[in-house]
Amino acid sequence: MSAKQNSKKSKWALDFNVSKNADMPSPPGYNPTALVNQTEVVRDQRLVIKKSWDLALGPLKQIPMNLFIMYMSGNSISIFPIMMVGMMLIRPIKAMFTTQVTSKMAEGAQGTGQRIIYILGNLANVALALYKCHSMGLLPTHASDWLAFVQPQTRLEYYGGGVSFI
Amino acid sequence: MACRQSSAGTLICLSLLLLLLLSTCSGLYEDQIKKFDWRSVHLGALKQVHVDLNHFQPRVLLSTHEQVVASLCPKTGEIIWRQVLEQKPRGDIKLLQVSGFADDSSDTAAAPMGSHLGFDMLTVQGHAPALVRGWNTNIGTIEWEWSIMPLHTERAQDAVWFYSNSVLYHVVPVWRSHIEVTAYFATSGHTTGSTSKIMAAWIKPESCLLSGTFYVCLDGKQLISLDLVAKSTQVIATPLGAEPSSKIQSLPGLNGLLIVDKKLISVNKDQAVCSELTSASYLVGSFNLRKVLAYADLVDGVLKINAVYVDNCTPVPELQQSVAFAEDFGTPSLRSFDCKAKRNGDGKNCLFIFATSAESIVAVQQGRVRWAREESLANVIDTQFIDLPLADTEGTLENEMKGKAVDAHSLNSDIASAFMRRITTQALQMKSLFLHVIGLGPPPTDTQKAGLVRDSFGLHKMLVLLTRSGKIFGVDNIAGKHHWKLYLPNVAGFENAEQMRLIVQRSSKHFPLQPLCAIVAKSAVNSNGVLFRFNPITGRAAESGLLQLDYQIKQLALLPETEEDFVKGILILDGTNRVHVEPKHATPLAHGMYLYTANVKTAELEGYFVKYAGGELSCLPIWNVRLGGHNSEQQIIKVASKNPIEHVHSQGRVLGDRSVLYKYINPNLVAFVTQAPDAAHKSVLNLYLIDVVSGSVIFSMTHRKVRPPLHIVHSENWLAYSYFNDKVRRTEITTIELYEGNAQANNSVWSSLQAPSMPLVERQSYIIPTIVEAMRETITERGITNKHVLIGTASGGIVEMPWHLLDPRRPISSTTQGREEGAIPYIPELPLPTENYINYNQTVARLRNIYTAPSGLESTCLVVATGLDLFVTRVSPSKTFDLLKEDFDYILISIVLVVLTSGSLIVRHLASRKLLKQAWK
Repeated sequence: MSAKQNSKKSKWALDFNVSKNADMPSPPGYNPTALVNQTEVVRDQRLVIKKSWDLALGPLKQIPMNLFIMYMSGNSISIFPIMMVGMMLIRPIKAMFTTQVTSKMAEGAQGTGQRIIYILGNLANVALALYKCHSMGLLPTHASDWLAFVQPQTRLEYYGGGVSFI
Repeated sequence: MACRQSSAGTLICLSLLLLLLLSTCSGLYEDQIKKFDWRSVHLGALKQVHVDLNHFQPRVLLSTHEQVVASLCPKTGEIIWRQVLEQKPRGDIKLLQVSGFADDSSDTAAAPMGSHLGFDMLTVQGHAPALVRGWNTNIGTIEWEWSIMPLHTERAQDAVWFYSNSVLYHVVPVWRSHIEVTAYFATSGHTTGSTSKIMAAWIKPESCLLSGTFYVCLDGKQLISLDLVAKSTQVIATPLGAEPSSKIQSLPGLNGLLIVDKKLISVNKDQAVCSELTSASYLVGSFNLRKVLAYADLVDGVLKINAVYVDNCTPVPELQQSVAFAEDFGTPSLRSFDCKAKRNGDGKNCLFIFATSAESIVAVQQGRVRWAREESLANVIDTQFIDLPLADTEGTLENEMKGKAVDAHSLNSDIASAFMRRITTQALQMKSLFLHVIGLGPPPTDTQKAGLVRDSFGLHKMLVLLTRSGKIFGVDNIAGKHHWKLYLPNVAGFENAEQMRLIVQRSSKHFPLQPLCAIVAKSAVNSNGVLFRFNPITGRAAESGLLQLDYQIKQLALLPETEEDFVKGILILDGTNRVHVEPKHATPLAHGMYLYTANVKTAELEGYFVKYAGGELSCLPIWNVRLGGHNSEQQIIKVASKNPIEHVHSQGRVLGDRSVLYKYINPNLVAFVTQAPDAAHKSVLNLYLIDVVSGSVIFSMTHRKVRPPLHIVHSENWLAYSYFNDKVRRTEITTIELYEGNAQANNSVWSSLQAPSMPLVERQSYIIPTIVEAMRETITERGITNKHVLIGTASGGIVEMPWHLLDPRRPISSTTQGREEGAIPYIPELPLPTENYINYNQTVARLRNIYTAPSGLESTCLVVATGLDLFVTRVSPSKTFDLLKEDFDYILISIVLVVLTSGSLIVRHLASRKLLKQAWK
């Protein structure tokens, strides 16, 4: 702690008042980072994993934001909500298609798990967008949406007649 | 402030409503007037006519059986003016008297100008009250009017009027008792004295008439007559050689002259008679200031007109002429003639007016038919729109397609042969086109010469009109030209006010085969059935033409098409409940048909099943329904079935919560309306919806204190009918919709014998601020377009009423449910905005019926409104969504396209050059 404090004082200052049993300070101009190549790699690795987890969890983190946007945009069908819903639907799908590319950047021990999480998160986003579509009435989920394709009934009996002519 | 706010609120509400209504309107632009529509104006069958060529304004004054008074131009037959008077019995024209045309030359009715005492023409109409009107014949206005109300209205029904020496005589016969004669000054209505009663126990309703001033009755082999004007009443008996075989007729113009079996008989001893003449029609007129008797006869299609001088019975050679007379006019009878007074009276300026049995008015001058008016069109009873035939080139193509369709069934068809046929037909087409261009092609057929070729949208059709007189017309529905006329003598409508039927047996779709129509009527001679088959495009008889059946027709049905010649057979139920099929080879197709008959007087319905087994047709009664009520007082006043060619595209209705309410579309449903007098409610109207295959009553409803006129439209799953509400004295329209519910019991087939449970019924009543004369729904090819109801009003307008205004599901309280469904909040009054009148100012006098037919375009429906006038137009209930606007700017669009394409090409070139330059830098 004190050494740290000391080193903060000045890079080039030598303190001769330190006790003997303490480690010897490094000579001036000595760069300790030049020596720790091995640990640096490990830290990088950890960073990459952290970063790729960030990437994998990104879609899941978007969910609260999307929920808020959904709530704010309302259920009316007009240009902005439609654009929003479109983006919400298209972005995760696009992301899912590019999973291979994304995961190439972060290949490691937890790659598979990250990939699964990433896809799940995107699927959750798609589900959210679909729910939004549904609540806006854009999904053909009702019988009325298929009414135009209902064929008229064929009649089995034919009749003729009317008021008697006699 | 509050007041202002509320008024602003109502303003917003009103404007919203207006916007809603605006969306429904389909008004016409000014430049579209008479573009899609035409009207022809008619007068009706001729009753009395006077030609006056010596007036300063030559004219033909006439009255008709349709209670119309009109003046025609003698040169062209065009209407100068027309007045449509009251309907029968109030408006029944009993006398038309033109000043200066009285029997005696001592007539003094022509009063000096500006006095109120003279008249050009007077008419007597009706009996209680009897209306006497004086007319200005130049402009067709009523100058004065007086009326009398007789003491005994039922006696006055048979009253006759005659005019003599400025005095109008009212003759009321009291059958088998006496005659009451009252004389009035024609122009003022004052009686000249008291009513004189002349004892005459010999008068009988069927055999008496008035001839001049003589009241004449036929009594066996003698004529008994009485001069009503003479000071002393003296009964004159005139013996006849034999009992006349036809009705006796009077001869206007000569006092006391009668036509008995084509011969002339005089009951007036002062009136000489040319008794040796024999003719079908006589007429008295004047020629060179002498009285002449003209007579006309039709001999082998040539009309022979002759005349003799009345005083010495010598012929008048100047008036003698022969005229080729078209067969479709029917039998003529001479009604009036006049000659222009010139110094050299050579008879060339004489105009003869004939009324014919086909209800035409024919004018003959100088040995030819000068003009003819087809007045039978004032009584159109049925119409059909027939597709025109294809042009030759399209025809071969169609033929090829059909060949392919037939081949598809057989197994030996292969792609190579089909391809070869295709190539050869196209080569043939090219050849015929080339020959046509260099003028060597085959001569166009008659129909092609007349421009009767199908257009690409199927808007141009042949309109076949069947009239009450038995005359049939083929009319161009775009130009209004009469392409052909046919006259069927000796046919009549059926009993129970059922008219003749016009049936399409084969449409124009089966190319080398010609379309075929049939008329089903009753013979006027022996009341057996008559069938007449004809080609509706050329108007020529087809398939041996007129077919006299040896049985009475009770009802009929149309069978499906046969496979060999695509004719729809007619299934006929005869008076003894046996069934027949015409043509005979379609008999097997009658198997499994259902038939029903309704007896209007007893309100009984009978259902039959037709069976074909072992080469024999039989008809089994399967059900009957009695709608007569507990005391059998109810009578059927209307039967409404759906249009058999109707297609229903949408099978349900989307509700506010996005669920579906399925329509109850029963094709075998027929609406019956019965009416009976009621002690407590004056009149009770019952409506029944009956499935005529199974005989089950699906729904019934009662209206109290309601009376006819009743008009009804039945279509898809709904019904709309108008009636007069006696309690609040207004016309109302009730609408009914039937729904199956949230699920369809069977979504593939409809069988009335395994019908779903009773439908849900929605109903609502609306007030319509007019008198309804006719109602009809629009119909389109596939049923995708919205349905509108065309309502004909008493003023002659036709209003297009969108169904969503008549919708019975219009919510009474403005809930969100209804609004989301698209239904307008309920307002009892139906709006009649002027832009919804499809005939703008072309009113149809005496509108009687509206007929609709689909065109080739899904958006457009062809309409013909009949009455005294004829109005033909087209409507597009959902706007012309499948058609570019007429003012579509093709040039602008093509210019923009060309400019954009060329611009993009140039810009691409420039851009590539720039890139190249940049790369070199």
